[in-house]
Amino acid sequence: MASSAAPARPRVGVVKMASCDGCQLTILDLEERLLDVTERFEILDFPEASSARSAGPFDVLFIEGSISDPHQAERIVELRARTRYLVTIGACATAGGIQALRNWGDHAAFRDAVYARPEWVASLDRSLPVADLVPVDAELRGCPIDPDQLLELLAALATGRRPQLRDESVCQECKRRGAVCVAVAKGVPCLGQVTQGGCGAICPRYGRGCYGCFGPREGANVDGLLRHLTADLGHDPAEAGRLLAGFTAWAQPFRSAIDATGGAPEGSRRSLPMAPEAARRAAQEGAR
Amino acid sequence: MVMTPPPPAPLPALAGPRFLSRDGIQPLLDLLRADGRRVIGPTVADGAIVMDEIVSADQLPRGWGDDQAPGRYRLVRREDDRLFGYNLGPSSPKAWTFPSLVPISRATRSEGKVTFDPVLPEPPKIAFLGIRACEIAALRIHDRVLQGGPFVDTDYAARRADTLIVAVGCTVSAPTCFCTSMGSGPELTAGHDLAIVETEDGLLVEAATPAGETLLAALAARVATPEERARATHEVAATRARIGDPVALPGLKERLLAQPDHPRWAEVAERCITCGSCTSVCPTCFCTSVTQTTDLAGADVVMNRTWDSCFSPSFAKVAGGSFRSRPRDRYRQWLTHKLATWEDQFGTPGCVGCGRCVTWCPVGIDLREEAAAIAPVRPPEPVIAPVAATPGAFAVGRVSAVRSETADTTTLAIDRLDPAFAAGRPGQFAMVDLPGFPPLPISISRFTADGLVLTIRGAGPATRVLCGLQPGDEVGLRGPLGTAWPLDRVAGRDLVIVTGGIGLAPLRPVLDAVVADRERFGSVRLYYGARTPADLLFRDELEGIWPHAGIEVALTVDRAGSDWSGPVGVVTHLFDRATWDGSATHAFVCGPERMMQATVAALAARGIGAARTWVTLERHMECGIGLCGHCQMGSLFICKDGPVFSIAQLGDTFGREGI
Repeated sequence: MASSAAPARPRVGVVKMASCDGCQLTILDLEERLLDVTERFEILDFPEASSARSAGPFDVLFIEGSISDPHQAERIVELRARTRYLVTIGACATAGGIQALRNWGDHAAFRDAVYARPEWVASLDRSLPVADLVPVDAELRGCPIDPDQLLELLAALATGRRPQLRDESVCQECKRRGAVCVAVAKGVPCLGQVTQGGCGAICPRYGRGCYGCFGPREGANVDGLLRHLTADLGHDPAEAGRLLAGFTAWAQPFRSAIDATGGAPEGSRRSLPMAPEAARRAAQEGAR
Repeated sequence: MVMTPPPPAPLPALAGPRFLSRDGIQPLLDLLRADGRRVIGPTVADGAIVMDEIVSADQLPRGWGDDQAPGRYRLVRREDDRLFGYNLGPSSPKAWTFPSLVPISRATRSEGKVTFDPVLPEPPKIAFLGIRACEIAALRIHDRVLQGGPFVDTDYAARRADTLIVAVGCTVSAPTCFCTSMGSGPELTAGHDLAIVETEDGLLVEAATPAGETLLAALAARVATPEERARATHEVAATRARIGDPVALPGLKERLLAQPDHPRWAEVAERCITCGSCTSVCPTCFCTSVTQTTDLAGADVVMNRTWDSCFSPSFAKVAGGSFRSRPRDRYRQWLTHKLATWEDQFGTPGCVGCGRCVTWCPVGIDLREEAAAIAPVRPPEPVIAPVAATPGAFAVGRVSAVRSETADTTTLAIDRLDPAFAAGRPGQFAMVDLPGFPPLPISISRFTADGLVLTIRGAGPATRVLCGLQPGDEVGLRGPLGTAWPLDRVAGRDLVIVTGGIGLAPLRPVLDAVVADRERFGSVRLYYGARTPADLLFRDELEGIWPHAGIEVALTVDRAGSDWSGPVGVVTHLFDRATWDGSATHAFVCGPERMMQATVAALAARGIGAARTWVTLERHMECGIGLCGHCQMGSLFICKDGPVFSIAQLGDTFGREGI
């Protein structure tokens, strides 16, 4: 029990935009460490965890999810105005997420193909990272975020220091943990070299290539990697470019490299089959 | 299997190599473990042969080998059942002697008080099994770096205090190996307790220390036969021959450090992803950061010494940014530290030639290739035996043509000379003598089939007499002497030539070479300044031949007359507003020394560094072959070591008054 004389705890909120809730679950998955967090921070608003709601103001506000519809675009501006430290968490909030693959496609065609009543659907034609709309004070990368990085950020916020989030490659984490490089030893295409570490190199340690969910690291030499994959190893350029078209595809320089290689996801260039309901409706309209 | 500790056995009088069958390795493992040691040895995991704790000989990579190339590693089955028939994998003893993350201190902060409790290392006793000569060399380097100076890494020292090493001499090699060049293998020479050489027969084991002898005695192995010994010697020698000598180590440090501006740094940076894999797999890279993990209050802190890499952006970062922000800076830092500056710090190169950085670079950058491209061993310049080298012994040439260039400058064509003169190279000079006058060093302004051309400004009595020679007159010559403009280095690249006054004469053979083979060079620009329009030399070439050959010519004068519509002013103004990029350009400069100083500074400001800027210097000369002592400048004889020098060669002496 905190005594009444204890200093005021920082007021924290956790807000969701277009996302799968996985990063919020990472917060809940802190389990017993969550108790320390609640002792240090006053959690005002966290719909995933509690029905208690608050409109702030917030000392720290965690944003999960990308900005994907007009309502979110308005809301993020309002939230920013009520927040001291705005922290984006996860690939969706920091890079636009997997849903940003639609940014290469025909938004109206997708909407019309998927929804029976597309006129009821208000969505932006692009899925955007939060930082495209409002200033962001800190970001935690990943799909989902890493619990240790989350705790490190919280500790930094609690003590007013800079968080130790290293700007190194995933390769560094791989090597520190004694994992064998899947790219060199197995020829598995791996984005670890151009991807910011912080995940603990989970994927390569289980024998698969990094798919870049932590997004591009500072100064990532994506062109160098693509040249090696295509010129040296003989991969098809579009296939190599598609490696980047994942959870952080919209983040630069991944985005430009996807464009340059023709690695935009297949099917994103219209010509999706129409959903049965939409097809029936179109046929009816045609008949009239 | 339980082994009782062996009874101490009397050492044989002559401790030569013993023979063990491959199955005899298990008793050795048991002995090491009975000594309370964790045995770290090779085993197959995740598609590679890695080092890990070994308790049974069954874990060893029996019958496994590997296929390695830059950026590529594959396990392959051998056709035999050798235990050590593989080349080194990604992991090295570094992971045990210098782990990637070790706690070094615990600290607290509470109510204004702080405490620090260093973590005292309690490392396990370790025996390394199967490590190679290059890895022992790496351990010895770490010994120097981490505990050889006044300050000691206590964690490393504790881990190294009782390390037992059962090493293997190499009878295999990978295409990425270059221990032979770095002097670190493949033979085991020192630093191990037991040495194993594996041949088709089995294992030849030899003790190198008392601890090794104790082990060997306990194994009760028979003495190897002379035939077995001969095969072992032969296989290791064959390994050395197979590897060859891929890196030219002698002088590498100096050659590399002389190339801070080499365009290759930028080229390799286009390939390098700066992932830092090379530094992680390197058995000698020792750079670390202290990372802290805290509780939420920041009051309880664990400090960890963590592997870091000079390839990470934050490695050289301060509040204002990184000191090595560009990938090329980071690659240069790494390569020059490994192969050059390490030697100044710790007495040896920081590279043992294990080849891991080559194999495990995900994009296959080969340090050996980069070093060779950036710091090539130049075949010694063919020494063109000068004609009549000895002072006093002059060859006689005949003036065949005279041309008045300007009011005070004359060009003499000299023929009927020894053909050796024609083999001279642009930038060389001749000692010219008329009996009765002092011999003079005159730069050669053109080479012809049977002689040469001298362009002389009549500045004193001797030069004025030379300017007054007529066709048919004879003259004494010695040469060609001195160094030449480095045309080979410029081939394929852009060249800027900046000259003033008579300084164009020693550069004319360069321009002749460009005209003769224009395709050999990139863009060529000539910036030339003279006192007045009437003082411009070689007007035909300046206004006709060179521009027609695709050489960009820009002229300026100090004082113009009514007949001059071109630029007026110092020669560096000609490229003040030029748009060319100097980052891969070479520059040749000749003129008065003040003019050259200003030019070198202006070129440096445009990105042409000291290693790519060349000047030719003038000093009093009598002999022209480094014997008379007149032309010394610091440690250099201008006549013999020059007259053409790079600014990097000259260092601080260039432009210093009174040297």
